[in-house]
Amino acid sequence: MSYSTFNQEQTNPLAEPMFFGNSVNVARYDQQKHSIFEKLIEKQISFFWRPEEVDVSRDRVDFNKLTASEKHVFISNLKYQTLLDSIQGRSPNIALLPIVSLPELETWIETWSFFETIHSRSYTHILRNLFSDPSEIFEDIVINDQIKLRANDISRYYDDLIFYTQLWQTHGEGKVTVEGVEHNVTRRELKKKLFLCINSVNALEAIRFYVSFACTFAFAERELMEGNAKIIRLIARDENVHLTSTQHMINLWQDGEDDPEMAEIAEELADEAYEIFMTAVKQEKQWAHYLFKDGSMIGLNESMLCQYVEYIANLRMQAIGYDAPFPERRSNPLPWMNKYLVSDNVQVAPQEAEISSYLVGQIDSSVDASDLGDFDL
Amino acid sequence: MTAKLFKVKVNGQHELTVDASEGTLLDALEKHQLEVHYHCKSGFCGACRSKLKSGSVRYLTDPLAYVRKGDFLPCCCVPESDLDIEH
Ligand code: FES
Ligand SMILES: [Fe+2]
Ligand SMILES: [Fe+2]
Repeated sequence: MSYSTFNQEQTNPLAEPMFFGNSVNVARYDQQKHSIFEKLIEKQISFFWRPEEVDVSRDRVDFNKLTASEKHVFISNLKYQTLLDSIQGRSPNIALLPIVSLPELETWIETWSFFETIHSRSYTHILRNLFSDPSEIFEDIVINDQIKLRANDISRYYDDLIFYTQLWQTHGEGKVTVEGVEHNVTRRELKKKLFLCINSVNALEAIRFYVSFACTFAFAERELMEGNAKIIRLIARDENVHLTSTQHMINLWQDGEDDPEMAEIAEELADEAYEIFMTAVKQEKQWAHYLFKDGSMIGLNESMLCQYVEYIANLRMQAIGYDAPFPERRSNPLPWMNKYLVSDNVQVAPQEAEISSYLVGQIDSSVDASDLGDFDL
Repeated sequence: MTAKLFKVKVNGQHELTVDASEGTLLDALEKHQLEVHYHCKSGFCGACRSKLKSGSVRYLTDPLAYVRKGDFLPCCCVPESDLDIEH
């Protein structure tokens, strides 16, 4: 089943499943099987921003005032986020584009991944401002054990799907031996790998950023590193759009609204999907432990962060039809987080002067008659 | 605008009177000092997802978050009748 960049067969995209149907030929959006993805594209594009437009220059002074343990928290989180967005900036494209069957979903995947690359570029923007040479920080990402542990768990579901898709594209269905290992490639097996992969990405978008978000906003609550906080608010807003897309995919499969075989697989692998999510929860708690190994920061400690992970995990699991895994954690232990997560923060603006929706593309559109001065019109 | 008052029961314990002509249902819950769950407040993240046990709501903006059967998003709707909700 080799991939064609322009499938010449006449297909009806309205009758195709999201994945593993015919490959997309005409990029058309006048008719849509799942119009939600077109709406998410519009939403995401309306959020376009450029890291360079956010002024982070004051953060350098703040950074030098942080304690050693606070510096560890700040830098470690940036490293972890850099890892996450390095993966997300490419993997949806590489893993999902070869198997997608709907034009609106194909374009959503590309839009999604593109925004992750903006996030990646913003980390360089932040780090360049703090260090004259940030390369040591970037280089540590591939040798730091704590980060590697997470990288492995995040990338393996993608890698597995990519590998099997490649086997399928070059050999078709059936048994194939590669480097002495026999693989049985079937469409159902591929779909299972896709299902697990999307659940793993869903966990990433749902909770993997939030320990780090919480630390950033805790600094901002103390009026520290506010340039960084502005960027992270823009990132958090994007991540919520990404999360909605993976929640849609999973729910559409479960409800049988897309591909009946995926509905079966969603049921068959429900426990495994749950485990993927709970492993991510556990790893995030371990990350909180690692962050605070040398001491807490004002306003935040390991146990509050772990409680917040549980609180968020409840919301996320219920969104895809599971019971809350931590029923005792109904209350938000970090209520101040919300004001940074609101997408249009006009009324509830915290102490900072600018609001995320006005941070970028600032144009002074108010023109007063007096601005025109002596112009004779 | 003339007030459109509805009774809203929350989590089986609180009875609020909500004016549908003023802000969203989530705003109303907040105004009544109940603990509210949200992120985006714009209908796309799903963090405010709640259960609609009875009654009906009207969306002010088209929700982009997936709304499962029996659920609704209070951050972008107003009551259209008396409600019984789980938030
Ligand atoms: S708060 Fe995001 S959907 Fe309601
Ligand atoms: Fe991202
Ligand atoms: Fe993302």
